[in-house]
Amino acid sequence: MITIRPAGDRGHADHGWLNSWHTFSFANYHDPAHMGFRALRVINDDRVAPGKGFGAHAHRDMEIVSYVLEGSLAHKDSMGERHVIGPNTIQAMSAGTGIVHSEFNPSESEPVHFLQIWIEPAMEDVEPSYQQISFPPVEKHGRLRLLAGPHASNTEASAVIHQDAWVYAAELRAGEILSRHPAPGRYGWVQVARGNMLLNGQKLSEGDGAAISDERELSLAGDSPAGAEFLLFDLA
Amino acid sequence: MRDVNVVVIFQSKVGLTGFASTEQLALAAAVGAVQGRANIRLRRLPDAAISPAANEGTTEYVAPRESDAVWADAIIVGMPAGPGSLSIGFERYFHSLDALRRQGKLEGKIGASFTQGFEAEPLMAAMRHAGLTTLPEPPETRDPAAPTAARLQGRRVAEAVRARRAPSNV
Repeated sequence: MITIRPAGDRGHADHGWLNSWHTFSFANYHDPAHMGFRALRVINDDRVAPGKGFGAHAHRDMEIVSYVLEGSLAHKDSMGERHVIGPNTIQAMSAGTGIVHSEFNPSESEPVHFLQIWIEPAMEDVEPSYQQISFPPVEKHGRLRLLAGPHASNTEASAVIHQDAWVYAAELRAGEILSRHPAPGRYGWVQVARGNMLLNGQKLSEGDGAAISDERELSLAGDSPAGAEFLLFDLA
Repeated sequence: MRDVNVVVIFQSKVGLTGFASTEQLALAAAVGAVQGRANIRLRRLPDAAISPAANEGTTEYVAPRESDAVWADAIIVGMPAGPGSLSIGFERYFHSLDALRRQGKLEGKIGASFTQGFEAEPLMAAMRHAGLTTLPEPPETRDPAAPTAARLQGRRVAEAVRARRAPSNV
């Protein structure tokens, strides 16, 4: 079964400096019908104005993955980590027993567009940690590039998170198709980052999401002349 | 379980040579409170020379507001090592709480500090005057392991709020 979560149905908050679309309930947007999917708790599609950002705030017991689509994002946290990330970079933070961090758009002129994903960890009170891995964009062209998973991959550098969840990014040209055969009992979520694509023949556009359960075969196809980028979550 | 709310208020990002930065200690105290399963707000007193009206989304730390003190079950304050008296910034801050104090809205809340110097006593006195119940600063805040001590202090504060609520301690 595939259940589409259309982009325009998401929660929306426009604070001027921050324009945010919430796939699932977040902050002032609360909809009991959209509290998450399996361990996936938050997908925020955020655009932050130049020089603006999220001041110091805390997290506990959450796996937080940030994926920049355009622009750059500066990160500073209580573990002493200070980084600026751009596209084609995985940033994963295990909040565990507790962290405080801030996130700002360091640019004076360009907005930043990024997805922030929260995945509920399988266990509480893990030691807080920060991981950041950059990869050449070609690694997501026409294939699923692993961003994060419950253990390290033998083939490509990815973040390790405390949950049986695999997160991939892919970019498909028009007509380019990827097939996947989910193991029985596994669930999936597709989130379109930009462009249009087809999921088992159903059209998905930028910002759309799709919950996947009980599907034996997935066909993911590009449907935009300029290409489509999406994230795929393989969930328990 | 009822939420525990802790606001950490610090002044000046920098510390004197040889001391941990006040910001670093504030972060550690906040992390400790989160470890103690509290919600936190982290606030920075504006420096006298800087406009105090920074809004959310524009700066890493906003200045404390009256609503933060109302929201908080506990207030943890810290300032850099100095001459051992209350800084002008904190004098102003506690003065700004006068209305709440007169209305008794701060009664029963917990106050604590992290200072690395001799400022703990004037901060404690100001908090007690505001109606807060103060927790002593652990002596080890003056050690080189100050961030560890500040984290412990944050955690103790969160636990103290919860302990005071437990029926056996009322």
